[in-house]
Amino acid sequence: MRWCLSVFLFCLAVVNALSSSGNRLLVVLEDGSEKDLYSTFWSDLEARGYDLIFESPKSDKLSLFDLGEKAYDHLLILPPRSKGFGPALSPKNIVDFINQDGNVLLALSGKSTTPSAISSLLLELDLHLSTDRSSVVLDHFNYDTLSASEKHDVLLLQRPGQLRPDTKDFFGGEGVLALPRTAPHTLGDTALLAPILRAPVTAYSYNPKEDLSAGEEVSATGSQLALVSAMQSRSSSRFTLLGSAESFQDKWFSATVKAPGSGKETGTANQEFAKQLTAWTFKETGVLKVGKIEHHLAQDDLSLEDLNPTIYRIKNETVFSIEISEYSDDKYVPFEVPANDALQLEFSMLSPFQRLQLQPSARTENSTIYSTQFTVPDQHGIFSFRVNYKRPFLTNIEEKHEVTVRHFAHDEYPRSWKISGGWVWIAGLWSVIGGFLAFVFVWLYSEPASGKTKKTQ
Amino acid sequence: MAESPTDVLLKGNTGRNTRGLLRFIILATIAAAAVSSRLFSVIRFESIIHEFDPWFNFRATKYLVQNGFYSFWDWFDDRTWHPLGRVTGGTLYPGLMVTSGVIYHVLRFLTFPVDIRNVCVLLAPGFSGLTALAMYFLTCEMSTSPSAGLLAAAFMGIVPGYISRSVAGSYDNEAIAIFLLVFTFFLWIKAVKNGSIMWGALAALFYGYMVSAWGGYVFITNLIPLHVFVLLCMGRYNSRIYISYTTWYALGTLASMQIPFVGFLPIRNSDHMSALGVFGLLQLVAFADFVRGFVPGKHFQRLLTSMIVFVFGISFIGLVVLSVSGVIAPWSGRFYSLWDTGYAKIHIPIIASVSEHQPTAWPAFFFDLNFLIWLFPAGVYMCFRDLKDEHVFVIIYSVLASYFAGVMVRLMLTLTPIVCVAAALALSSILDTYVFVSNGPNPRSKANDDSPSEGLRSARKPEVGITSYLSKAVMTTSVVIYLLLFVAHCTWVTSNAYSSPSVVLASRMPDGSQHIIDDYREAYYWLRQNTEHNAKIMSWWDYGYQIGGMADRPTLVDNNTWNNTHIATVGKAMSSREEVSYPILRQHDVDYVLVVFGGLLGYSGDDINKFLWMVRIAEGIWPDEVKERDYFTARGEYRVDDGATPTMRNSLMYKMSYYNYNSLFQPGQAVDRVRGTRLPADGPQLSTLEEAFTSENWIIRIYKVKDLDNLGRDHSNAVAFEKGHKRKRATKRKGPRVLRTE
Repeated sequence: MRWCLSVFLFCLAVVNALSSSGNRLLVVLEDGSEKDLYSTFWSDLEARGYDLIFESPKSDKLSLFDLGEKAYDHLLILPPRSKGFGPALSPKNIVDFINQDGNVLLALSGKSTTPSAISSLLLELDLHLSTDRSSVVLDHFNYDTLSASEKHDVLLLQRPGQLRPDTKDFFGGEGVLALPRTAPHTLGDTALLAPILRAPVTAYSYNPKEDLSAGEEVSATGSQLALVSAMQSRSSSRFTLLGSAESFQDKWFSATVKAPGSGKETGTANQEFAKQLTAWTFKETGVLKVGKIEHHLAQDDLSLEDLNPTIYRIKNETVFSIEISEYSDDKYVPFEVPANDALQLEFSMLSPFQRLQLQPSARTENSTIYSTQFTVPDQHGIFSFRVNYKRPFLTNIEEKHEVTVRHFAHDEYPRSWKISGGWVWIAGLWSVIGGFLAFVFVWLYSEPASGKTKKTQ
Repeated sequence: MAESPTDVLLKGNTGRNTRGLLRFIILATIAAAAVSSRLFSVIRFESIIHEFDPWFNFRATKYLVQNGFYSFWDWFDDRTWHPLGRVTGGTLYPGLMVTSGVIYHVLRFLTFPVDIRNVCVLLAPGFSGLTALAMYFLTCEMSTSPSAGLLAAAFMGIVPGYISRSVAGSYDNEAIAIFLLVFTFFLWIKAVKNGSIMWGALAALFYGYMVSAWGGYVFITNLIPLHVFVLLCMGRYNSRIYISYTTWYALGTLASMQIPFVGFLPIRNSDHMSALGVFGLLQLVAFADFVRGFVPGKHFQRLLTSMIVFVFGISFIGLVVLSVSGVIAPWSGRFYSLWDTGYAKIHIPIIASVSEHQPTAWPAFFFDLNFLIWLFPAGVYMCFRDLKDEHVFVIIYSVLASYFAGVMVRLMLTLTPIVCVAAALALSSILDTYVFVSNGPNPRSKANDDSPSEGLRSARKPEVGITSYLSKAVMTTSVVIYLLLFVAHCTWVTSNAYSSPSVVLASRMPDGSQHIIDDYREAYYWLRQNTEHNAKIMSWWDYGYQIGGMADRPTLVDNNTWNNTHIATVGKAMSSREEVSYPILRQHDVDYVLVVFGGLLGYSGDDINKFLWMVRIAEGIWPDEVKERDYFTARGEYRVDDGATPTMRNSLMYKMSYYNYNSLFQPGQAVDRVRGTRLPADGPQLSTLEEAFTSENWIIRIYKVKDLDNLGRDHSNAVAFEKGHKRKRATKRKGPRVLRTE
């Protein structure tokens, strides 16, 4: 019995493994024979718990959606031989798939011309291929001397480091990547895109068929050429564009390469990079989850009703806290903000009135609680607590909690006698009242005894 | 003269009692007539709150009834003026809500299970009965004729100028304010006549109630000091005036300052300075009067002159200094627009955009007042013949109110009471002269030697011969005919012009049966039932109160136009291109946009017809971005058809109004029935909004604001992609190439 249960739990663990958003992975592969070329890659994925479903793009029963819901969680597209992918994988369907939180890994290859459907899909994401759609990246300084001594089209690159000082590094590590026959692309200027691997400064784009370099186009040289890029939509679904599908083949997982000049033969780190890239794309890494969000007045004894009130008063002392966990490989761990970055809280109405750093205040087994304390501004209105944390490679956090900030109620002002400046007026008031009463008293009870008083009347 | 049974009833002590009883019955009947003539809308439609402002008052009353007085006082309304909110408790006149709240609780206490809505709906008719009563008292102070008061009460009860603001369901401040206005004036006249502290204090008390009920209290604040000032100028100073005015001013000002919305205005605002000035002047005059008793005449003259010059100089300098330093608030825009009718149009489009702030068209006077308007000058003339203190009041009131009624349509309301008084004075003197079937001297004239009838009788004695029953009959018959016509006119006007709730529109089917167009409520209930409780609705400010009241959803702007910039923001969003509007909508958390479109039905009060006001108000704040000229064609026409300017056709309002409208018609046949024009063959395209709801007759159209595109595209690109248009690759970009850096 115990044995059964443990097997069951193990199976459950395997089934639920790794990805935070499901394990149904559709691999679109045109040619069945190609499947064997990537066998190590497939077994790596299966070992991480994915259900791989292989389909040909021409297949009739291929559909990304079932009754309007997405039928797979992830989509991996290998470059087609023929001109296109067929109706099931039209750009619109793939965009819908992304909009329904599906993750896509799209691999291109410099060997064949990229279909125009793919090109127009990429245009929607602001990723641009060269006009002829069949260029490869050449680099006469960083190529593999063993396999491409003539054509210089197998790039040898260090694995990518941190993109920016304030981001996390999901793709780093030791070793050399070999990228054979890479189709380059350029990125548009949107914040949703982030390059994972950029070409070296000495690289350029070249069309082997027409024997023309695309040298006139300025963007198509050097590090403006991206080889692997990531797009994360606003809803945090992920799309990765891999320039060289070939690099994930068994051959290149185990190849030995040699860079010009260095003279030392090394193995490639492609397998490790493939794991990192799929792990990121299929949401095994870099996934943030917001737990409970609490805000309340800064006071010691808090009951449950005092939590998350809908209304505050101006100048209240307020505490805000947010619980964030990060999914790392197979479990949620406390999220640590990168060293050069900050998690910020905005208290805003039309524009932020407060923008504050959230500091880690507590830590649970799988989450960090960030909190801050501040004084509500002296402006009534409908404010919102906003946490807007969007960084490359991390899923977006966009939290907005509306609260009303009201004015002082009529009995919340200090009483008149507590304001020392008002004493003059209070004294004046009471002296008039007292004087009047005294006058009335004197008037009523003083007998007009003599003629002298009569005269004044 | 033989004793007849009627004489027993009509003469002596019994007669007085009988007359008292009759008077009571007549007044009760007048009140009943006043109430019942206002019930057309309830009978025709249902017990429903009308128009726009009443919806807010109704909502506030519900809040008051549910949450109690103190929380009403401290009410911060987070469902209007999003995201600014409104300190409602401190920015409204609570008198109306508190009155109906009190009535509601009293009825509940008496175990009448009434609904607060019915209290609100019937409050205005109920108070109109009281107004008629107050009018009786006021007019009785003006004339010794017993018929004057009753006539005035009857006029006040059914005159359309007052009915326009007090039909059942018209739950507005004026509903109780007119009663308070008339009654305060009655108490004031009483105080002036008697020189009594009690009447003065009562006048102050009702003045305080009036302040709590309506912003129009400023009229009283200025009229009473003016009355006193004129009396002083006429050399009629006496202790009665001193006592009544000082009592009224001191207590009334204190009372008015208790209203949070008024606060310190009575001592800081220019509108209230005349009351303060007259108060000061009165002290000086009283002092001078006091000194006169001790100082010989010649010295007194010199003393008086130097004192006047001195005091005038000091106070003038003080006023200038305080005004410049800002202690005394400058005159408000509404006030300026009272003197210069063109002022608002140039400087404050928001005030000019309100239809009831427009100058009055002359037929409106006859429409609202019927034959009273030509009796009115006669009545004023009669006041001149008598010219006691209270008649001076009538004259001043008439002159001021006539002017104001000519400037603004809504101020017809303040003119109406005095017209009723004056007309009743005129008519009663006619009746007193002609109706009494007596051979001897007119019994009325004994009590009133210098009454107008005296002059007429002296004139008729030798030759005119009004003793003849013929002329009496002719006169009486014509007056009766006029009165009957007046009643018929009032009923007709009330029934046809003033009893429409404007929330529900009534129309006639070809067979004469009534057809109800209920698009407003249909749309508001759609909002109530299909949107998030906190979904923010943007519409032009006219509909803010109704959305708040009927749909119970937060709005950006509403009929309480306290923040011109916020309204201009909405105007800008409506009148700009989608690319400009969308960030504004996002910034203000707008979820839905509501527009009113009358093109299908021929409903002329729609947003396209109001559109120029939105443009003008937006232009007032952003003259560089929104220009009224761009919405007119080169020939200066405001067009919506093929000839419309590109700015017009790209504006959000135009697009929302005509979106998908073409689909109702054969291609190229789309017709706008309000503007009476054929629309362009291609309807407008919307990319940042999507149609959420359109009511049965297309009067209300609601659009949902789309979220940002998930893939970070422009909405227009995203829509084009959805429709299957291939995007052109931007091969040749203009300007320097932007390199991507991280």
